[in-house]
Amino acid sequence: MSRYRIPGKGRIDHARPVRFTFDGRVIEGRQGDTVASALLASGIHLMGRSFKYHRPRGVVSAGSEEPNALIGTQRGGPDRFEPNTRATMQEVWDGLTTESQNKWPSLAFDLGAINDRLYMLFSAGFYYKTFMWPKAFWDKVYEPFIRRAAGLGRSPALPDPDHYASRNLHCDVLIVGAGPAGLAAALSAARAGAQVVLVDEHAEMGGTLLSEPQLRIDGAGAWDWLAATLAELSALPNVRLMSRTTAIGYYHENMVGLCQRLTDHLASPPADAPRERLWRVRAKQVVLAQGAIEKPLVFDGNDRPGVMLSGAAQTFLHRFGVKVGDRPVVVTVHDSAWHTAFDLAAAGMKVAAIVDLRNDVAPALVQQARTLGIEPLPGHTVTGTTGRLRVASVRVAAVSGSQVASGRRIACDALLMCGGWTPSLHLFSHTKGSLRWDAETGAFLPDRKTEACQIAGAGRGLWGVAAALDDGAKAGALAASAAGRVAGAGTFAVSGDRPGRGVVVRELPTDGNPGRAKAFVDYQNDVTAKDIRLAVREGMRSIEHVKRYTTNGMATDQGKLSNINGLMIASEALQKPAPEVGLTTFRPPYTPTSFGALAGYHKDDHFEVTRRTPIDAWADAQGAVFEPVALWRRARYFPRAGEDMHKAVARECRAVRSAVGMFDASTLGKIEVVGPDAATFLERMYTNPWAKLQPGRCRYGLLLGEDGFIRDDGVIGRLADDRFHVTTTTGGAARVLNMMEDYLQTEWPDLNVWLTSTTEQWAVVALQGPNARKLLEPLVEGLDLSDAAFPHMAVAECTVAGFLARLFRVSFTGELGFEINVPARHGRALWDLLWQAGQAHGVTAYGTEAMHVLRAEKGFIIVGQDTDGTVTPQDAGLTWAIGKAKPDFVGKRSLMRPDIVARGRKQLVGLLTDDPATVLEEGAQIVADPSKPLPMRMIGHVTSSYWSEALGRSIAMALIEDGHDLQGKTLHVPMEGRTIAARVSGVTFYDPEGQRLKV
Amino acid sequence: MLLIHCPYCEETLPEAEFAYAGEAHIARPADPMALSDEEWRDFLFIRSNPRGTHFERWRHLHGCGRFFNAVRDTVTDKFQMTYKAGLPRPDLSAMKEAAE
Amino acid sequence: MTTHDREFRAAGVTVGELAPRLRFSLRLRPDNLPQARLALGLDLPEKIGGLVTAGQRRALCLGPDEWMLDCAEGDRPALPAGLPHALVEVTDREVTWRISGPRAAELLSIGIARDLAALSPGKGCRTAFGSVQAVLLREGEDSFTLSVWRSFASHVAGLLAIGQRELACGL
Repeated sequence: MSRYRIPGKGRIDHARPVRFTFDGRVIEGRQGDTVASALLASGIHLMGRSFKYHRPRGVVSAGSEEPNALIGTQRGGPDRFEPNTRATMQEVWDGLTTESQNKWPSLAFDLGAINDRLYMLFSAGFYYKTFMWPKAFWDKVYEPFIRRAAGLGRSPALPDPDHYASRNLHCDVLIVGAGPAGLAAALSAARAGAQVVLVDEHAEMGGTLLSEPQLRIDGAGAWDWLAATLAELSALPNVRLMSRTTAIGYYHENMVGLCQRLTDHLASPPADAPRERLWRVRAKQVVLAQGAIEKPLVFDGNDRPGVMLSGAAQTFLHRFGVKVGDRPVVVTVHDSAWHTAFDLAAAGMKVAAIVDLRNDVAPALVQQARTLGIEPLPGHTVTGTTGRLRVASVRVAAVSGSQVASGRRIACDALLMCGGWTPSLHLFSHTKGSLRWDAETGAFLPDRKTEACQIAGAGRGLWGVAAALDDGAKAGALAASAAGRVAGAGTFAVSGDRPGRGVVVRELPTDGNPGRAKAFVDYQNDVTAKDIRLAVREGMRSIEHVKRYTTNGMATDQGKLSNINGLMIASEALQKPAPEVGLTTFRPPYTPTSFGALAGYHKDDHFEVTRRTPIDAWADAQGAVFEPVALWRRARYFPRAGEDMHKAVARECRAVRSAVGMFDASTLGKIEVVGPDAATFLERMYTNPWAKLQPGRCRYGLLLGEDGFIRDDGVIGRLADDRFHVTTTTGGAARVLNMMEDYLQTEWPDLNVWLTSTTEQWAVVALQGPNARKLLEPLVEGLDLSDAAFPHMAVAECTVAGFLARLFRVSFTGELGFEINVPARHGRALWDLLWQAGQAHGVTAYGTEAMHVLRAEKGFIIVGQDTDGTVTPQDAGLTWAIGKAKPDFVGKRSLMRPDIVARGRKQLVGLLTDDPATVLEEGAQIVADPSKPLPMRMIGHVTSSYWSEALGRSIAMALIEDGHDLQGKTLHVPMEGRTIAARVSGVTFYDPEGQRLKV
Repeated sequence: MLLIHCPYCEETLPEAEFAYAGEAHIARPADPMALSDEEWRDFLFIRSNPRGTHFERWRHLHGCGRFFNAVRDTVTDKFQMTYKAGLPRPDLSAMKEAAE
Repeated sequence: MTTHDREFRAAGVTVGELAPRLRFSLRLRPDNLPQARLALGLDLPEKIGGLVTAGQRRALCLGPDEWMLDCAEGDRPALPAGLPHALVEVTDREVTWRISGPRAAELLSIGIARDLAALSPGKGCRTAFGSVQAVLLREGEDSFTLSVWRSFASHVAGLLAIGQRELACGL
């Protein structure tokens, strides 16, 4: 079964077979395999179909840059399904289920491949062309097609049962990449005592060292040196090593986001284990040691299964003990592929030929190839491949000058390509660090930095392990020194290093018609070289436009393999040098990242904060229906058996008007304003006068923004000359305190007054209704509750049911009312006692919905419902709340602005429908004359609307242009299928004389 | 995620503890009623919105609670300096010279 | 200090809710510190984050004019009437946990973005745990107290419990 596995070779555990499935077929791998290496060991190259043309595709790389081998993975139940996992990164375990993507009905026979024959429909810019005409085709043909074709793989259909963690971490030096450069950097920094974090996206640390066992470092074999180095680092208390951890983004001030994969490689993860953990690392210094990514070559047929990067073949051989074929051919423009060929030959593969476009290949390489029985073909190109589901042959031809000779076929079962190496600078680009083109290395290298970081090794164009180790050691020492440690860089004696060199090419030269070649640049988005040339021909000049028009580099791999090749082809077509064409921008995340990892703990009960009052549990036990108000959850109504909301609210309203209701008002914002200048401060903040308010009395307070618009309101009680108890709306509490602090700290810092939030210090129970005093009186000590001694808008400190209390006589319902504030820990006990005592008085708990109805019957506004941030006190009919004699208060000057005093402003009025049974919809638009042609002018909208049980009819409030002048006029509310007539009225619908308070 | 130096706490702390509070050095007029409509409009609504150096206010909301002023580059997003509320606008050219 | 029943023991860290303790928010201008210190018998620290204890009273400086003052039950601290200040009881506003054990700081790092290594024993700060404002005190190398407003307590306690389970499972 594993014919391509070399016994004993690689870093996998040959003694531990692992069975998983791929498209239903059982595959046997080894502990330590990835899905890709295990499939290759079984001779399977075909791992998926391409996105647009559904062409058969095989694995191209051995790392996270993989564009083709994207699979669906199922870990356990059907709810643990993830699409687009890279087969090169997913480790295998017993029971793992995997599937290929973008195929129907099967991977080997796919009907969608017809798209491949319809190339003209899908060439560059096809989104903008193909689906334009005829219009009638859109619904029936194009949209269904796009929907089916859009995206990769299939979306998970079930809720994700896993949980995800997050952590903050601070360190001196964060090193990204644990290849030779990263390891050497870690050694320098760790030995200097710096707090070091070293991360690598692979299961194993070591990077290139894992694929180059022939190296000797400081006298030891590469793998022994690696083991010793990791042992030294992990023994140090100041070092944290994190494998399977991808640095996904590099943000301001050296914050790096890491995604650590904790359980995807485990057959049976611990029950409470998070699947992934997002780390927010703040490092004094960052060392980017991410190495380089091998470039594919662009030629006709470069996407057949079996065509892959030469470095990947080397990794599959050395790390996994897997032969990628029996008879590979190598095509390259860089020395490194020659070494790969030699390693493959040494492992028993029959390397048929090494095709190198360069004429001047080092004679030693050519000689070694001959010695190993490999045909060296310098000065040659590849002009095509054959094979349907697997490459079967390659056509090679000699090149002299611009002439390509007619070629010949060489049979092969793998074609290993190397177009040179691209420094991996994605994270550096996240920081807006600039790149410069380096002609020597033929690559973009880091230039100007914006963050405190070092780039080491191949990331800045240094090829070879010796150079990477030395550079890494220096970078680590620099980073540790910059982080305040005394550090030095070690040196390393390296033998067996194979740094190599190469040239930069565009497409490989061909004797064929380049206009017919299927020479892929971006495998994942199916972009070919001719697509890029077409984009330039059609007028795209900026590389950013070429990218978007062709979608080159826009797939989930963000062009890790395709960007430079795309740039080279575009630069030739534009007849501009590459550095002038420039690169597109890399953005986080470096590799696709699960939503779960980004959401972290913000799911289920912790999706967002839910604030609960001390009485919340009682309401819950009573079966209350809750509604969110700001972050609070509040009881909306308390349905009894058989009651819907309408019935429950009507009953609650009746109880308040006829007996007594109990309401949990604990969420009201409370601010204690204390100090000798407390009254002066409130004079300046609120529209109302405060200086003459006597201790023991309350007043309604109206707060404006400096622009004159209503921001908040609430009752303010004066407890002492220098102490006020300010209440705010539930949602406005934090905003109001912030606004007050702003004025106090920055405009009037001379005032001796301080603000303390006491919202949560007090639990508040409102008793409202004609029986309120009867219920409360027996429980109160130290206070005469009679109307004469404790009138409406009085406040006092006393005890209620034995608890120290601040008692307000206030009414938001129009009934006799009290609000009892007790220290929050006693809130529930007070509630229970009142509930018990209230049974004799017909007490009923009411929720926010009844509260809204009761206040609307009285015409009291809710800030944020009847106002929307553009409503002035005049608009709302609240000019009575303005202290006319005050020289200044916040917003006063704005009330005289021309726009504010002009006609045509929307003003708050009452609305009574002609049909008393019709309840208007809140938000409904209002017109003056419904017979006017469409579009009709809308003159306002309904802000509040309820069934009033007390009045036996519907009531509403509305903001209407010049509404105060329209009293008695009939207006119209057009709704679907009918228009509702309503008469403009005042806003006080119930007990306009306020008789019910005088008891 | 920026780091912000609180001039009151004298510590450099994560942005998560802070809240932005608009442009700095826009004092509320001592007698608003004495202003023309145009002057009042300018005070209310007109802001500089520069590309580059911006004087702005922040509050150490989840910390000492203080409002303070900052100089920040709107291109790089980064803070150049912070200073206490009430202090005059710093002379940046003098600072630059001193640094050189 | 007594602990409530909501105490967990997981890999290296315990979280226990503390019984409410008399707590005040004290505000005054720094110029008036000498008189306030005298009146309270407490050397109110001037540096933000500073903590002092004298007998049953202790004060944490939270801002240039703000102190969190903890007292024993029944204590009624008072300042001279002529001294401009604000003293507001906030005992019931807050819920406080003790978080202790060798992995206490690690547990806190699930929600706190500050570098806890920079907070030395005997210091405190107001900060945020996730999106929730909190007051954090480092009582000792491996011991913290964390206070949040009452209505946020179940949210934060839930996160701490999740974090403890994570630490316990070893991944």
